[in-house]
Order: sequence, then C-alpha cells, then structure tokens
Amino acid sequence: MKTSKKEQENKIKSRSKKADDKQKLILELLKTHGAKIYDDLDNGQFPKFSIPSRSVSNIVYDKQLRQYILGNNAALRSSRNSAQLRSFTQLMWLAFFANRLTTERKSSTLRDIYYSSQAFAVEFEDQSESDNIIVDLEAVTSRAREDFHIFPEERSSIFGDLNIEYTIPGYEGKTMNLANHPDGYSIGPSLTTAELVSTSAEIVIAIEKGGLFTRFVEEQVDKKFKSIIINTGGQAPRSTRTLLKRLHDEMKLPVICLTDGDVYGEHIAMVIKSGSANAAHLRELTVPDAKWVGVWATDIEKYKLPTIPMTESDIKRCYDLQKDPRYQDGIWKKELDVFLKLKRKAELEAFSKYGLTNITDKYLPQKLELAKSL
Amino acid sequence: MSAIKEKFNQISPSEFFYSNRDLAGFSNPTRSLYTAVREFVENALDACDQKGILPDVHLTIKAVDPDKPDPKPYILTVKDNGPGIDAEHIPLAFGTVLYGSKFGLKQARGMFGLGATMAILYGQITTNKPVIVKSSSDGKIQNQFEILLDIQKNKPIIVKHTTKEVAKTGLAVSICLEGDYSKAGNKIRDYVYETSLITPYASITFNDSKEQKFSHPRFVKEIPPPPTIIRPHPHGIDVERIRRMIVESQFEIPTIDDTMIEKVRKDLGLSVKKLSFISIMDKAKKKWKHLPRQVRVVIALMSFLKMDFEKLNKIQIEDIDMPNKKLFYWDFGDSQSKSVDMDPESEYYKQLTNTVQGEPLTTFLTKRFQRIGPTTAVKFAEFAKFKPEKRMGTLTNQELVNLSDALQKFEDFMAPDSSCLAPLGAEPLEKGIKKFFNPDFVAVVQRPASAYSGFPFIVEMGIAYGGDIKSGGPHVYRYANRIPLLYDEGSDVVLKVVNDTDWGRYKIKGEPPFIIVSHICSTRIPYKTAGKENVADRQEIERELRLALQFLSRKLSSFMSKRGQAEMAKKRANLYAKYIPMIAEFCTELSGRKKEPNYKKMLETEIASENKKAVKEANEIENK
Repeated sequence: MKTSKKEQENKIKSRSKKADDKQKLILELLKTHGAKIYDDLDNGQFPKFSIPSRSVSNIVYDKQLRQYILGNNAALRSSRNSAQLRSFTQLMWLAFFANRLTTERKSSTLRDIYYSSQAFAVEFEDQSESDNIIVDLEAVTSRAREDFHIFPEERSSIFGDLNIEYTIPGYEGKTMNLANHPDGYSIGPSLTTAELVSTSAEIVIAIEKGGLFTRFVEEQVDKKFKSIIINTGGQAPRSTRTLLKRLHDEMKLPVICLTDGDVYGEHIAMVIKSGSANAAHLRELTVPDAKWVGVWATDIEKYKLPTIPMTESDIKRCYDLQKDPRYQDGIWKKELDVFLKLKRKAELEAFSKYGLTNITDKYLPQKLELAKSL
Repeated sequence: MSAIKEKFNQISPSEFFYSNRDLAGFSNPTRSLYTAVREFVENALDACDQKGILPDVHLTIKAVDPDKPDPKPYILTVKDNGPGIDAEHIPLAFGTVLYGSKFGLKQARGMFGLGATMAILYGQITTNKPVIVKSSSDGKIQNQFEILLDIQKNKPIIVKHTTKEVAKTGLAVSICLEGDYSKAGNKIRDYVYETSLITPYASITFNDSKEQKFSHPRFVKEIPPPPTIIRPHPHGIDVERIRRMIVESQFEIPTIDDTMIEKVRKDLGLSVKKLSFISIMDKAKKKWKHLPRQVRVVIALMSFLKMDFEKLNKIQIEDIDMPNKKLFYWDFGDSQSKSVDMDPESEYYKQLTNTVQGEPLTTFLTKRFQRIGPTTAVKFAEFAKFKPEKRMGTLTNQELVNLSDALQKFEDFMAPDSSCLAPLGAEPLEKGIKKFFNPDFVAVVQRPASAYSGFPFIVEMGIAYGGDIKSGGPHVYRYANRIPLLYDEGSDVVLKVVNDTDWGRYKIKGEPPFIIVSHICSTRIPYKTAGKENVADRQEIERELRLALQFLSRKLSSFMSKRGQAEMAKKRANLYAKYIPMIAEFCTELSGRKKEPNYKKMLETEIASENKKAVKEANEIENK
C-alpha cells in the first residue's frame, strides 16, 4: 500500500478527528445528564431520572437485530427515595468520574473504579456493587463502559497480519503489525480504540483456549489459512467482541468460532454471534454472521474423540438453553440435542490423541471448508 | 373474708412421703433448699390472700456454721403477717403429713399444704432438729412450738411449748435442713424476684446467708379479689369422688334410744308422758313442716310399726328393705325378729326412701355440682340412660362407673364457673412489668375463662420491649397460680407456644430486648411432674396461650412499625443531609457549571420535616 506523505497526514488527521468527535459526543451526553440533575436541584427539587429496567421480564429477543434487547419498561430513580439515594449518588459519582476519564483520555478498569470511589467518600459495599452501577451508567446512556474508558480486567489476545494505528494519547499515528510478536497482542484499551488499517487475512478464527491459540501460532495457522487468530479466553470479553465486530464490519472478514465440544463451548460461540442477556442494554457487541464450526457434538462420533461424561450442571445448562429462542433451529438446536443424547463432552485437546498437529492438519481444514457452506 | 372456714382433717401417713421425697422436689441439697423456700413462702402468701391481708413476708437463710463447705445445714425462716394458726391445730398441721387446710376447690398456690410438711420432714431427716413454729391467731398471744415428727406413726412429738404476748397475728416457721446455698442461691433470688413481680401487693424481703439483703416492697396497694370455693364441675370428677359425695348425701337411720325418744317428744311439744300412737301421729302431721329430718324418720318408722313411745323403747330396727317394702325389727320382749309391711303409697314411705336410698339423681346433680339446672339434669339422665328419679344410694359399682363416664362425655354442661380463680388482673400485671423493666413498650391481656377436663383456667399475659430489658429475647417469665416456674422450662407449654411464633412476622428481628410474662390460673394446673415446674400441653390451655400471645404480638408489632417509622424518618433526614450535597458537587462539575446549584434551602426544609415526623411517631408511641 503506497500513499504520499500528505495523504498519510490527512488520513491521520481525519482519524484523530474521528476519535475527537466520539469523545465530544460522549462528553456531551454526560453533560446533558448532569445538567438535568443540576437544574432539578437548582429549582429546589429532588433530582430524578429514568433508567431502562434490566429485570428478566424486560429482556426480550429481537429477531431482526438477532440479539437480546431491553423492552420498554423503565424505572424512575429518585433521590427523594431513601432506598435509592445511595445508588443515585453512586451513579452521579460514576458519571462525574467517567467525565474526568473521558476528558483526560485516561483508562480505568472495573476494579480501579471500585477503589477510586473511596477517594471521593463514595461507598461501595464491594466491587460487584460498583460493577452494577457501571451497568446502570451503560443503561442510562445506552453506551458501553469502554466508551467511558472503563475496561474489564481480563485480557484476551490476537495474532495475525493486521496493521493498526493507535489513537490513544501519546501514540497517535503510530502503527503496528499484529504478527510481529508470537505471544500475540493483548486486547486492551489501546487496541480496541485503534484504527484497523489493513490486513492480508481472509478469515478470523476465534478460539476458546490459550493453549490452542499458542499451538495455532506455532503451526502458522495465520499464514497457512490466511487468518487472524483470536484467543477469547473462555467467554469473550466485551472489548474482544467489539474487535471481532469491527474486523467483520470494517475489514469485511468472516468470523468463525472454535470451542470445546460441550454446551458451554456452544454458548461461547452464540454470545459472539448474538450477545448475552446481561448486555441487552447495549448494541454493537455482536457479530450476527459469525459461525460456530466446532467442536460439535456430532464431531465426537465422527472423529472418534475421547470424551468425558457431562456433569449435572452441564445437563441442566442444556435444558436451560433449549428454552432460549436462539436455540430453536439449525445447527444450534441440532447439536444441543445431540449433546443431550450423548451426555458426553470433548475438549479441543481431544484431537491430541491423534497427534499434536492433528487439529490444525486435519480438523481445521475440513471445518474451514465446511464453514463456507454454513 | 372471714366466711372462709378452715377445715382440718387428717388423711394419710408420712412414710410414703419419706420414701418418695424426691417426687416432691427434695432430691438433693440444692433443689431441696429451693423447694423448701418455695413451700413456706407460698403458704405464707396463700394464708394472707385467703384473709385479704396485704402480705409482709420475710425470708432468711442462715448457715449454721458459715465456715463449713456446702452442702451444710441451714436455718430457713419464713415469717408472715397472716392470720396465724390456732394453737390446737399447730402440732397436727406441722407434725403430720397430709394434714391440710386447702382441700376446697379454689385456686391456691399449693394444693394441700403438703409441701411444707415435706420440707419439715426433709429437715428432720437431714439435721434431726425440730421445726420451730411461732403463731398468733388472735394478735395477743403467741404460741411457740418445737415439734418433731414421728415418721412411723405419722404423729407430732411436741418437744417444747411456750407462749408470750404479742401485738399482731402472724406465723413464723423455722426449720434446719441440709442445703447448698452456693448452688441454689441464684434460683432462690430469681424466685423471690419473680414472685414479687406476680405478687405486686406483697412486700417480700430476703436476707441470705451471705449477709445480702434483697427487698421487694409492695407497689400495688390493693389485693386482688380472693377466689370463692365452689362445687365441682361434672367434667372434672371421677368414680371415687362421686362415691364420697354420695356418702356425704346419705343419712343414717337414727338409733332409737332414750335420748332420741326424748328429742322427738320435745320437738312434737308433748308434755304428757303417755300418749297413744294415734295422738302422736296427729300431732306429728300438724308439726311436720318444722320437724328436723331425724325426727321425721322416727315418726315414719313409728307409722309403720304402729307403736307408741313405750313400745318403741322395747324394740331395735334391724333392716329397712325398701324394694320389698318390709321393715324388720328385734323385739326385746319376745326375743325374736319380726317384720311389718310398709305401704308404698304412704307419705312416710317416701320419707324413708329418701333417707335410706339417698337423693334422686337429678337432685344429686343440681345440688352437688356447679351450674347444673333441673332441665340439664333430666337431659343428662336420659343421655346416661338412668331414670331421673334413680336413688343415688342404690347405684351398683358398675352403674357408678357408667355414671362417671357419662358425666365426662355429656357435652351440654355449662363451662366451669371461674369465680374460684384469682387472676392477678391486667392492671397490676402491667404496673409490675413497668416497675421491673422500665420498658419502652408494654401490653397485657387477660383472656376470658376457659376450661380443660372440667377445670376452669384463665391465662394472663404481658409483653414488654426495650428499656432495661436485656437483648437476646424473648425472655419468658412463667407463672402458674402466682408461682414462678424456674426449672424444666424446655418442656413447658408456654415455651412451646413462644418458640412456635415466627417473630419476623411481627417485625421483631435479631436479638430483641423483650420479655413475655405468662400467668396460668386454674383450680388444677396440669403440671408434668410433681415438682411443679412445667405445665403440660393441654390443647385448651395451649389455645388460650396462643390467642393471648398473638394479641400481644400484634400490639408489639404495631409499636415496632411506629418505632420503625420514626427511625425511618430520622434515617431519611440523615441520608438527605449526607448524600444530596454530594450529588450537588458531582453534577456541578459534570454539567460544566462553576457554582453549586441552589439546593440548601430545599434540603433544610426537607430534613426539618422528616425530623418532625420522627418526633410525632415517637410521641404516638409515648401516648399509647
């Protein structure tokens, strides 16, 4: 890719303008909410606001969006209500703190938020209480916490031929190729907010386990199959799901998921595809076209994989998912039924029985081929 | 008050109790000392109650040799200002077992006055010292006795008897017994303390062996109305009791001797010595209404014998065979047994029947039981398959059993008369609880009288919260007939009812500072054991306890919610004061303003209004 110096500069400018615009938008949003509270108080009234209800009865599946969304029920939070006053104050503080983070372009983590509160005499019983208030902020503003520079602790990683350009302060315009470091790159705030510049890859492979991720890098799956490999580390964190979505939408790359051969693995793929009920208040976290290619229940017999029996909770999870609207047809329903029939499960590592590279040599090519027809 | 007559009768020997003393609570030195205290204090209070005297009771426990280790001999003295006991009764009352003054059917602390003699017996067994009794029943002369008990003969041995002049009535009993005050002390102090709560009209002092003085002055000046003695209820009776009642109701055929004849003559107003049979009968008919029963019986006999006084003097009645209408007699003149027929149509025949065969069933029921009228009596006879006119004296053993069974089963008798009960009353109970616990909340209730197995009972209950009460409640104070029950609470019906209650439903949570005072009054408390410490769970009693507790719990619950509202208002005020300024601070920066919003006045008004609410709710509690 050859571009003139001026073109390059313009591109950088426009990219940083894009980031600035987004920042402005978020700050404006926070200011609007703050001003409403301020005006209530200034008029001698107890401030209040409304927040979409996140109760189970208000979480519905939207077939068109292909994800869970919140219904129309909303709750009024009033500072006059003594039972709500504490959480009201906590949320006000969080908005205030998010405003500082966003203004100064500083990042924070869920845990960091919990500890920061203490400096302002705002009490949280434990981190789960502050986590919950963060979800409140997301619900009120319809924005993901990452937009307010708040990130989860856990990191997943990425490897493959992808050029990115940072937008975070101090790194603006700096580029990086994500195939330069064999351990992969951790998907944190800087990577999530980076511009995706170019890639030679033709597919994204999301894999559930770190061990297999390393094996894939060693076996040069990225080169052999022209792919970007992502380790989700179990259930994919939001920043990873955002990145997957961007790779799909911006770079036009198909996304496939490779998980353990059990009901939890199947659901990891499902969450990448259509989100979780927990994040029903947020959009832009799903890759509706993502495909789950294995390990399927039917693969267990087909590839004669060593298995272990399902536990009680595995089986219960199967029955629970049978009630989920997303598991009512296609491969999702079929594989779930077979899992229930077999009552056995297989790990991705099960392929090692036939040699350490069996999974990349035999299984993966077949599945990639199959994915085209899915 | 003076209408209450003391009846003394001697009923059984002391050997049985000697060998079964643990049944009555004299199992070891600790328990025995406690039981002895109880028996004497309760007797003193009962004696005062019966005469309507405000009791002053003084209890002292002194070690004979303070330096000896427990268990060791103690001298226990209980002194009261009651009516005292007549000198002539003292040796029997204190020197024999089962010689009681409490056999009437009414509520009293002790049933028969047995316990005191048991204590004396125990004292004598363990220390071989006599009981010392000082009594004045006239307020002038005090009799002082030292008495030992002859266990085999169940007879008193008077060791010493002296008299002296005094100014008031009263009784002081002093025994020497082996006890363990270091172990029993707590229970005895609790007992005295709890007794004074349920006996607020009594003044009780206690000097213990460690030279500590506990004084519980009276704080209620009126003594509750004393119970009346009543006839038994048919549901509370057994075969033996019926048999005794029949014996009481029958009259013997009087022996016809010179004294008897003289009495008849006098009652008929006959001055002339010799009078013909016909003239006597005429005279008797005229005077019949005024003649006593014995005289009527003699006249009736004469009517069938057709004899005047002279002839009557020479015979002796052998048998009166009512079913065969024959009268048998021994003729001293002919030295042989003779008989005459009796005319069943005669008025005199009826007179004799009444005497010989006892009262008809219906009369027996209406006269000798409480709350049975003639209609109910006839209805019962039909139910029990007896003729209403069936003579009580003619009942066979089997019929007696049938009658007893039927009395138990017949359901149309009215509920037992509760006038024989002496509850403390809601007002004194409340006063007592207030004085003892200085609570934030108190409520008391007296349930209407109810009955189990023919024995009437009344449940009184009080509940109190806060104040001086220790947390970790409910603490339950159990009373039966004004006696505190301190032992064996685990199996008590009151505890059962309290433990069954879900206090969370009444807004009482955590380790609340609250107490429950339960008082069961009955002519017979269904104790589980002879030690009289825990009440059995009779269904009817359990029900009354439950209703009382529910009623009080609801009141407590409404207090708790009022108190909760007051606390909430206060809490709201505090929360506003804490959080609203923080919100103001955060939203000022968030909205990009320089100056904080103008919210202070609103906040002040709101806090003031919440504080006002808190005070108002608190006042409402106060005024309740």
